[in-house]
Amino acid sequence: MTAVLAPFQQQVNATTVALAFLLVVLLVALFWGSRPALLAAVLGMFCFNFFFLPPLYTLHIAHAENWVALFVFFTTALAVGQLSARAKQRAEEAESRKQEVESLYSQLQAAFERESEAEAVKRSEKLKSALLDAVTHDLRTPLTSIKASITTLIDEVRGQTDEAQPVVLDEDSRFEMLEVIDQESDRLNRFIGDLIDLARIEAGELRLRPRWGAVDEIISTALTRAKPLTTDHHVEVTSEKELPVVRVDANAVSEVVYTLVDNAAKYSPPGTTIRIDARRGDGDVIIMAVEDEGRGIDSRMRERVFDKFFRATRNGDISTHQPSGTGMGLAIAKGIVEAHEGKIWIESGRNGKGTRVVFTLPIGDEEQS
Amino acid sequence: MNERPRILVVDDEPQLIRVLRTGLKSRGYDIRAAADGLAGLELFTDWRPDLVITDLAMPNVDGLEFCRRLREISQVPIIVLSAKGEEKTKVEALDIGADDFVTKPFGIDELLARVRASLRRANAPPINEATQTTLEAGDFHVDLESREVKVRSDEIHLTPKEFDLLIYFIKHAGKVLTHRTLLSAIWGGNYVEQNEYLRVFVGNLRKKIETDAASPRYIITEPWIGYRFDPGPTET
Repeated sequence: MTAVLAPFQQQVNATTVALAFLLVVLLVALFWGSRPALLAAVLGMFCFNFFFLPPLYTLHIAHAENWVALFVFFTTALAVGQLSARAKQRAEEAESRKQEVESLYSQLQAAFERESEAEAVKRSEKLKSALLDAVTHDLRTPLTSIKASITTLIDEVRGQTDEAQPVVLDEDSRFEMLEVIDQESDRLNRFIGDLIDLARIEAGELRLRPRWGAVDEIISTALTRAKPLTTDHHVEVTSEKELPVVRVDANAVSEVVYTLVDNAAKYSPPGTTIRIDARRGDGDVIIMAVEDEGRGIDSRMRERVFDKFFRATRNGDISTHQPSGTGMGLAIAKGIVEAHEGKIWIESGRNGKGTRVVFTLPIGDEEQS
Repeated sequence: MNERPRILVVDDEPQLIRVLRTGLKSRGYDIRAAADGLAGLELFTDWRPDLVITDLAMPNVDGLEFCRRLREISQVPIIVLSAKGEEKTKVEALDIGADDFVTKPFGIDELLARVRASLRRANAPPINEATQTTLEAGDFHVDLESREVKVRSDEIHLTPKEFDLLIYFIKHAGKVLTHRTLLSAIWGGNYVEQNEYLRVFVGNLRKKIETDAASPRYIITEPWIGYRFDPGPTET
């Protein structure tokens, strides 16, 4: 700086020189910190005195005002140097703290992720074992009846027991044992079929075959199939006049209606009415519902009944002496409805009594036909 | 017993009830059934059966609660029907007072054998230690005063705790005894979690009474649950 300004000794005044030296001190402080800045301030003071304050090229100062100028320059240079060096140090410290916090944060985040992954694995293991329990229970229950029936029949054939008491099985009892074996084998088969359907739905492999068809036909197909289940109930069908045709997989939707009617028959007393209705809703949807006059489902349970293997009967809020289902019917029905981009939910029936299961189906796009 | 023994079956599975009704009736038992614990308790009070067979998983009052309430009013033998994997519930049921269990799926013969054993136990005259000085059960002969024990006519020497354990087994022959029940009866309530005590003493007892301790025939292990004592073939 001295070398730059020296040729202009006569042209520049002392203030300019002092400011230029201050700039140098400032830069030194910014780049190298407080000690070099101190050195720069001292050097600056000597250079200022030696080269720019008269008498030139001596360290002697003639005028008192120049003493003041030199003193002011030195203190200012010192202060600027120290302050900017400290500011730089603060900035560096802040930066390093920021980095520390960031690294801590990312470590914490990784730890949380690991923890929640472990938690999720644990939850999923728990769920798996609960599902396995449910499945084994449902497989074993019909097997128990089958095995007990068969061993009873075998004992009769053997014609003797450990007690030396004759086994007395009349024709009706023998038939009953065979009937139990037959029905329970069907139940096992139904259960396995439902398991496969549910697995397909969960894997997103439910293949729908949508065709244009009438809602009334779908309902009547389901009711024909459900006839043996509804012999003790009155069945009422109400469908809005001039319902449009819908583009759905008729077999799948008929399965939904069948499941709902089956449930309605199971969970409502004999002699009561099961109502099925279909109407057009807002927008291009059809709203269908199956309603019974049973004890209804507690509002807290209404979501859960769509979970697989959840049975209201096993959880005590609905009592029935009817054979229980597979616990998968509503889960499958929900899967089918949602695969059609519809919704399914449960409401209370008329006058707040009974259960009303409602589902919607989009009518379908004309262009898709 | 002149009358046909009465058996109350409590299960929410109508099909299983059909089978048990037919199977047990064909062996000369009188059967009535209830679909849940509550109905079971009502029927029990009205009908006073000689034995109760109950499922564990039922709506309303479940099997455990049913056993608990039944034990408050009666000492009737209870056989619990349960599935593999329900060991915890099974142990609870036995601790509450159930006498035996049958694991589903079961053959009717297995159930009938348990029914006969439970009825036999219930009808056996009670052991009165104040007047009775000897215990006879199967291959076992015990002199309660001199503490002499003979197995298959051979005299064996037992430590006091082994002796107590054997006496307890003999008195509850055929019944499933949970680890907890045995520990509490022989060592006292503070030791109910100390399964290893029991394992060591049962091991020692087996060495002294069994012909082959590796495949015991008197003290039979019920995995995860406890032991069942079978005094041997001479019992009728």
